[in-house]
This record gives sequence, structure tokens and C-alpha cells, in this order.
Amino acid sequence: MRRQAWVYLLLVAALLPTLLPIYWVVTISLKSVVDQFAVPPLWFRFAATGEHYRDIFFVRPFGRYLWNSGVVAAVATLLALVLGTAAAYALARLPMKRNWNRHLSFWILSTRMIPPIVTILPLFLLVRDVGLLNTRLALIVVYVGFTLPFVIWMMRGFFEEVPPELEEAALMDGSSRLRALRDIVLPLVAPGLAATAIFCLIIAWNEFLFALILTQTDTVMTLPVGIAGRVTQYEIKWGAMSAAGVLAMLPVFLFALAAQRYLVRGLSLGAVKG
Amino acid sequence: MAETQESVHGELGRADRRLALLLLAPAVLVLFTLSAYPLFYSIRLSLTTPTGAWTPGHFQRIFSDRLFGTALLQTFLYTAGALALELALGLLLALLLNRSLAGRNLFRTLLLLPMLMPPVVAAVIWRLLYNPSFGLINGTLQSLGVDTSGLLWIAGQRTALASVILVDVWQWTPFMFLLLLAGLQSLPAEPYEAAQMDGATRWQVFRDITWPLLRPTVLVAVLLRLLDLLRVFDQIFILTEGGPGFATETASLYIYRNAFRFVNFHYGAALSFVLLAITTVVSLWLIRMLRGRTPAAERS
Repeated sequence: MRRQAWVYLLLVAALLPTLLPIYWVVTISLKSVVDQFAVPPLWFRFAATGEHYRDIFFVRPFGRYLWNSGVVAAVATLLALVLGTAAAYALARLPMKRNWNRHLSFWILSTRMIPPIVTILPLFLLVRDVGLLNTRLALIVVYVGFTLPFVIWMMRGFFEEVPPELEEAALMDGSSRLRALRDIVLPLVAPGLAATAIFCLIIAWNEFLFALILTQTDTVMTLPVGIAGRVTQYEIKWGAMSAAGVLAMLPVFLFALAAQRYLVRGLSLGAVKG
Repeated sequence: MAETQESVHGELGRADRRLALLLLAPAVLVLFTLSAYPLFYSIRLSLTTPTGAWTPGHFQRIFSDRLFGTALLQTFLYTAGALALELALGLLLALLLNRSLAGRNLFRTLLLLPMLMPPVVAAVIWRLLYNPSFGLINGTLQSLGVDTSGLLWIAGQRTALASVILVDVWQWTPFMFLLLLAGLQSLPAEPYEAAQMDGATRWQVFRDITWPLLRPTVLVAVLLRLLDLLRVFDQIFILTEGGPGFATETASLYIYRNAFRFVNFHYGAALSFVLLAITTVVSLWLIRMLRGRTPAAERS
């Protein structure tokens, strides 16, 4: 009994510094400018105001950034899922000569080991040369490449967990591979596919370096870039920036909760962060 | 089972191979265009002048670039400091939660939150906390009567690097914690039962059973964090932009600065290969360790 108490005490000691900063940014986003940096700090008693949220949506173009982040993440995720699931199925189920499945899988994974700063240099020049700088399309394409290895490795694992006998029975009955994939295998890996989709959304949503370099105008900028541009300025509107921060982290929390069961597997393959 | 698979593939072999090619081609093409091709392009950049003539000059320049040396050194310090703290704290938390406990899932979920937010947002939050004149930390200290005039955190020449490391520890300890907890939960029960029969102390159990069995998980987690830490950019860009002065400049930031601020893509490309080489060497070393040690850990 006493040991249990110690465990709880330690856990609370870990939770406090973990959650306090998050709580603080939420309160700053709801405090009027006078209350934000009062000494001593106002922990609980302050008059809540929605002015900063109104500010980011109606005065500053954060609605636009939110939309850009959403569109880029959603389209990139969709494309990466289609391309990646197809490739993963082939790697898991269609053995090629000379162990090519293995070689290809590792080459695909190895592309993730390259630090982004290495690839962004040439990619910036390429994107600029084809005239796609400051377009959402460029960012979508780059994010497809960014999330594809992740999708392939996640889905390959899920496909390998499906007993091959199930498909083979269908194949024996004269069904084609693709049909067996659609009717039998895909429904079985649907939860895994959903989790993979969620992690792709998070990767794209959180990404900063590529977005910083490829999108510099207000109309195509994503949320992290929009925030970054305003906190490196001389005078910072902390209420508005806190509101934007809350806006940027809330969807990720909800998504991650939905896919929590698969979080460990996802993280081992690079979910959340690219 | 292998036989049925063989026979099916025997019959459908050619059609299957064509299908495999069809399914793989788009993904491989995209990956090649977005990762292999840029790499080749970058090699060319790093070896040419802006007019297109070949030169080894950019790589020669790196050797006399003191600033890059400092940036690399700081990247290593950052990596080592953050990695050690994240591993220690993550392991502690994982051991703490690796038992039946009311509310365990809630604790686990809450402890994960920092890792899920965009690093940019984590950095914004910590600027709110660190600000020397109105931040939460100094504000609280002041209301307790502490003189905070010397406490500059990320704005102080000597405290900046430690302060940005702390932000990394805050955000990514959950990552270590979660992977290590999953590793702990998948350990076999038998050795523990045997140890209990022999009356081993808890420290002995940890040293002789848990740690050796957990080693592969630890190495994987360390490898993943290491890859991320060596390339760190986002948080530092928001927190300090490498400052004050040069105190928190890391390799990625320095490369970014050279390529995009000083618009010298050729030199930036050359610099970026140094980072790539370091990352590759370190991760290959860890992967070899992982391959070498896994069977040993399983045998014991």
C-alpha cells in the first residue's frame, strides 16, 4: 500500500512539468493582455476572453493557414496511402527474384535516414526551376515522398499479419489478386490503414522545415510557418500566438488518441515526426 | 504452408511478377524523384561553382570553417545531453508504469501529450515560460522573492544551450518512455518468476534480467532519437535562431543559414554532406550493435 502511494507521488511529479506548460499556453490564449504576464502569475483566477481567437481568425490570416495545413496534410496522406499500400502489398505478398523485396524495403527505409536539410536544398532549386515555389502542390508532393516510406513499412507489417491462406482460398476459386486484395485483405487491415492515415496526417501537419522553405506567402503558408513568422518578429502578440498554438496542437491530440493502440508501432517507424 | 504458397506462385508466377512491378513502380518512382535524385543533384552542387565548373573548393573550405566546427560541436552536445536525459527519465517512467495501477492508461496518455504537438508549438510555449522579464518561470521565482535579474535562460550566453536541451527533453522523453514501456511489457515472465524464487533483490532483477532483455528496445529507441537529434532544427529556430550570438547554433541551422540566408547553395550542399556522413556512420554503428547484441540478449 505504501509503495503504491510512492508510485502515485512520483507519477504526479512527472505529470506536473509535462502538463503545466500546455495548461499555461491555454490560459495565455484566454487571458486579456493585462493578465497575461502579471506577477505573481495568475494561475486560475482571470477573466477569460475569446479576443485572441477572434484576432487570429479575423485580423490575421490564420484561418487561411489552418485551411492550407489541412488541405496539404489530407491530400498528401491520401496519395501516400494509395501509392504506399499498393507497394506494401507487393513487398509483403509477391516475392520477387533474388530477395528483391528485402532490398527494396531497406532502400525505402534508408531514405528516411537522410536529414531533411540535405534533401531540401536540391528540392528547393528543383521546385523553383519548375515554377512551383509557393504552391500547395509542391508541398503536397514533397510530403507524399516524406510519408511514403512510413506508409509502406506500416502497411507491409499489417499485410504480413493477415494469414495468406485467406487470399489463397479466393485465388483458388478463380478470383484475381487485385480482387482478393480489395474484398478480403483490405477489410482485414482497415484498422491498420486508418492508424497509418492518422500518423501521416500528423507528420504532415507538424512538419516545419520543408514548409518554411517552400511556402513563403500568406495564401499558401501552413500553420507552423505562420506561427514561426510571427514569433521571430520584434514585437510578438503572445495572446494570438498562444491561440494559434492551441489551434495547431488540438487536432493532433484528438487524432493521436484515436490511433493510440498503434502508437508504439507507428513511432518505431517514424510516426508523429518525419 | 510454404508448399501451398509455392504452388500458387508457380501457377501465377508471371502474372504476379508483372503485378508486383505495377504496384511498386509508382511508389519507387516517387521516392527516387524525391530522395535519390535530389541527393545526386546535391552532390553536383557541392562540387561545382555557380558557373558550373568543377571544384573541390567547397569541401576544402569546410576544414577551415571554425563556425561550422562550433555548430557541429554544439549539435553533439545537444544530442548527447538530450539523449542521456531522455533515456534516463523515459526508463524511469516506463519502469514506474510497468505495473498494474489504477488509472494507468490515463497517466500514460497524459504523459505522451508533449510529443504529439508540432515542435514549433512546443518552442512557442517554452518561449512563454523562459522569457526573462515576463515568463512564467521568472515570474514565479519573483513572486517567491528570488532575484531573477541574472536568470536569462535561452537569452543567456551560458544557459542557452542547456535551456534548449531542456525543451527537447520535455517534448521527447515521452517517446522514449512509450517505446521502453512497450518493450518492458513484452518481456517474458519466466525469468522474473525464477528470480523471485531465488530471492533476488529488485536491483539485481533490474541489472541481470530487465536491462539485458530490454537492450534491443533501448538501442532501437536510442537510434530513432539520435537520427532526430542530429538533425534538430525546428525548436531551435523558434527558440533562439541559433543565438544568442552563436550559442545554440546547430549543424542544420548553419546549413540553412548558408544556403538560404547567404544564398550559397553550393557550400550549403557540401556542408550538408558532412551532416549526412555523420548521421550515416552513427546509425550504421548502432544498427550493427543492434544486430550483434540481439541474439546474445535472447540467449541469456
